[in-house]
Amino acid sequence: MEKLQIENLLYKVEKPARYLGNELNSVHKTVNEDTIRFAFCFPDVYEVGMSHLGMQILYGLLNNEENIFCERVFAPAIDMEEEMKKNNIPLFGLESRQSIRNFDFIGFTLQYELSYSNILNMLKMADVPIYSKDRGNNDPLVIVGGPCVYNSEPIADFVDIAILGEAEEVLIEVTDLYNNFNKGNYDKLEFLKKAALIQGVYVPALYVVEYNEDNTVKSINPKFENLPKTIRKRVINNLDDSFYPEELIVPYLDIVHDRIMMEIFRGCIRGCRFCQAGIIYRPVREKSFDRLQNIVKNLVLNTGYDEISLASLSTSDYSELEKLVRHLIDEYGSKKIGISLPSLRLDNFSLQLIEEIQKVRKTGLTFAPEAGTQRLRDVINKGITEEDLVNASENAFSSGWSNVKLYFMIGLPTETDEDLLGIKDLAYTVIDKYYEVPKEKRGKRLNVTVSASTFVPKPFTPFQWEPQITLDEINEKHKLLVSEVRHKNITFNYHESRTSFLEAVFAKGDRRLSKVIEIAVEEGCKFDGWIEHFDYDKWMNVFEKAGIDPAFYANRRREYDEIFPWDHIDVGVSKEFLIRENKNAKAEKVTANCRTSCAGCGVNQIFTGGVC
Amino acid sequence: MITVRSRFYKEGDMVFISHLDLIRVFERAVRRANIPVAYTQGFNPRPIMAFATALSVGVASKGEYIDIQLSDKVDADTFMESLNNSLPEGLKLIKSVIIDSKEKSLMSVISSSTYIMKLESKEPDSKEQIEEYIKQFLKQESIIQLKKKKNKSRRKNKKPEFREINIKPMIKSIDVFDVKGNEIILKMHLAAGSESNLKPEVVIYKICELTDISIESDSTRIQRLDLFKEKEGKYITPIDNINTI
Repeated sequence: MEKLQIENLLYKVEKPARYLGNELNSVHKTVNEDTIRFAFCFPDVYEVGMSHLGMQILYGLLNNEENIFCERVFAPAIDMEEEMKKNNIPLFGLESRQSIRNFDFIGFTLQYELSYSNILNMLKMADVPIYSKDRGNNDPLVIVGGPCVYNSEPIADFVDIAILGEAEEVLIEVTDLYNNFNKGNYDKLEFLKKAALIQGVYVPALYVVEYNEDNTVKSINPKFENLPKTIRKRVINNLDDSFYPEELIVPYLDIVHDRIMMEIFRGCIRGCRFCQAGIIYRPVREKSFDRLQNIVKNLVLNTGYDEISLASLSTSDYSELEKLVRHLIDEYGSKKIGISLPSLRLDNFSLQLIEEIQKVRKTGLTFAPEAGTQRLRDVINKGITEEDLVNASENAFSSGWSNVKLYFMIGLPTETDEDLLGIKDLAYTVIDKYYEVPKEKRGKRLNVTVSASTFVPKPFTPFQWEPQITLDEINEKHKLLVSEVRHKNITFNYHESRTSFLEAVFAKGDRRLSKVIEIAVEEGCKFDGWIEHFDYDKWMNVFEKAGIDPAFYANRRREYDEIFPWDHIDVGVSKEFLIRENKNAKAEKVTANCRTSCAGCGVNQIFTGGVC
Repeated sequence: MITVRSRFYKEGDMVFISHLDLIRVFERAVRRANIPVAYTQGFNPRPIMAFATALSVGVASKGEYIDIQLSDKVDADTFMESLNNSLPEGLKLIKSVIIDSKEKSLMSVISSSTYIMKLESKEPDSKEQIEEYIKQFLKQESIIQLKKKKNKSRRKNKKPEFREINIKPMIKSIDVFDVKGNEIILKMHLAAGSESNLKPEVVIYKICELTDISIESDSTRIQRLDLFKEKEGKYITPIDNINTI
């Protein structure tokens, strides 16, 4: 395959370092006849995609296989896309600068629904037919994974293979199968039928969806008898035995998360009812202190980063957190390598620990109460009390912090104006705590950032039956908050409501939406997650053209007995549990975390290795 | 404290990384190489290093300079070797010396820079013709560049304000090296540093504006040859004639 000449383009575009492909620890291989070429595509710009830990893990894992060459592909920025079109340069793998048109696999990670338009746009840039049915034996296989894959129906028609769950094992099983097929007479359909028998592999084309007259789903059935009726996700039993990269690609550019990312555990014991990650990544599995100690040693050596971030859904729930943090401070503090602990919970974090971390490198503090009143926090099962927040901020202010971020969601089920005003009350209480600290003890210039995002009901959560509130209602809530939360120490941010609406449509959408995405991309929609590129009116026109009502997906309350477009997918958590949790939410009843008592979600009936 | 001054080149793919990227590359390379670098105090400690000037993205250089402060004594050659082992292809130290810590900073001593540049004209021109254009250009009493003023007010959408700068005194010389078909090779000597700084791309832009020369602006390629300080009327590099330890 010919290497594309892109150098002249690099002189014309912004941030050309996005397209170099030779960063530290990137992998370059000599290709031969037996090499399986894998394009790992992240449907957003470089700086976003490179911050994604999953890509770094799978890139390392695939390239560890001698016969696989995995390369990265990001969505070229608008200016680069234009230059590529002008110069007839197709989408290429960063490492080889070769067109991905003739690769064996084109993989996309589905991190958020608003990237779907970019996926199609990238396939088009690669000159690959967008529909699975139009790709034959000589075309690449389009394979997807990531959190949105649990309801990948809106893009199912474009996809050949969806990987459900953790990909470390199943991805290799798929490439091995492909390798065997490739040695004989490769036939795409035969390959897919075989692949669909691997646990964790979902081949949308092998399943038929029927609809009721009211547009809800009537049934989802496999086309062939030997295929499973429901497709179960995969999990890694023992994370200590599982692959983890000891080299991370270190970018030249300043990316969103520019640090060592060390995953400490998967899953979450909390069960917040709005949170999809908290359900789909169950059960909880930790990496041992010893394994982490080894990984971090090599990562520090191989990257030269000055910060280590402990990645998980709820860092303070790691059972050996204190031991781990002390080890990191002792070992790396003198080398000025700092530690960041995202996803800390208010109720159990040790401020003393944080203070020690701060001695190396100072970071901000972020709290996520999510809702303004205790009633609503009970509805969403965010087991945090006002007292937790008050204590945490009191402690933080007396140790010198003066910058605090508070995250909230609006539009949560059962929310009233009183709950919204609770956001204000909570923020003002935090401010009071600051001024109660003697002047000489507290930091200067208090700034409390209050951020409000819009609730998007997601599949496989106890709130999957709930409607998203309408745009008008969202805007009313924004107005109320803007007029009420006025304080010189508060910066108030809220999230653009119209992107949240589109997110809700695709999160709970079905296969009929593929038409909508196809037309939208034809009309130029892309980078919908970027407010400067998102064109709401265009999207609404496209829905009209396709004869599809977006509110049917986003704003409709669904009954417990409705068949969901994702009901043939099994994440290990039972629907009965989710219904029970939905009822508990309405009764404002809190469910204890998994360590305190088992709530019977069902995941331990299927998978082992967790705390439950 | 020990300060190591090094001369390095930036070429190949490395011309596409920005000055801020370059700082990060050096910081991480120094850490990977286990060089005992000194750190700044404060909440966000950084390795103490200083560059001579920033290079625009897309410009290559044979003569860049960096001062790195160390907390322990390291032999200059060992330093150079171990740092080179961890720098990416396209960045390489070619000379390192340990200098007196009282030595003035690179940024404050640099006053000029030489560049070699390749331009592509739309129509083939003779060398004489190009020389004539340059002569015309340099004959101007003043050459005015409009420079956007930094927006100091907090209003984001304020109309940008411009100030006029006469760049004529910042041009020390422009020589036509070679003209072959559509390819024009120029050498320029321009002011560089904290006092006055003139980017070579600005000079090209003004030449195009003020003479009849016509070039494909996207095809211009620039390489810095070296940076100089002035001492007794002579141009010397910041690593020559210096007290080393």
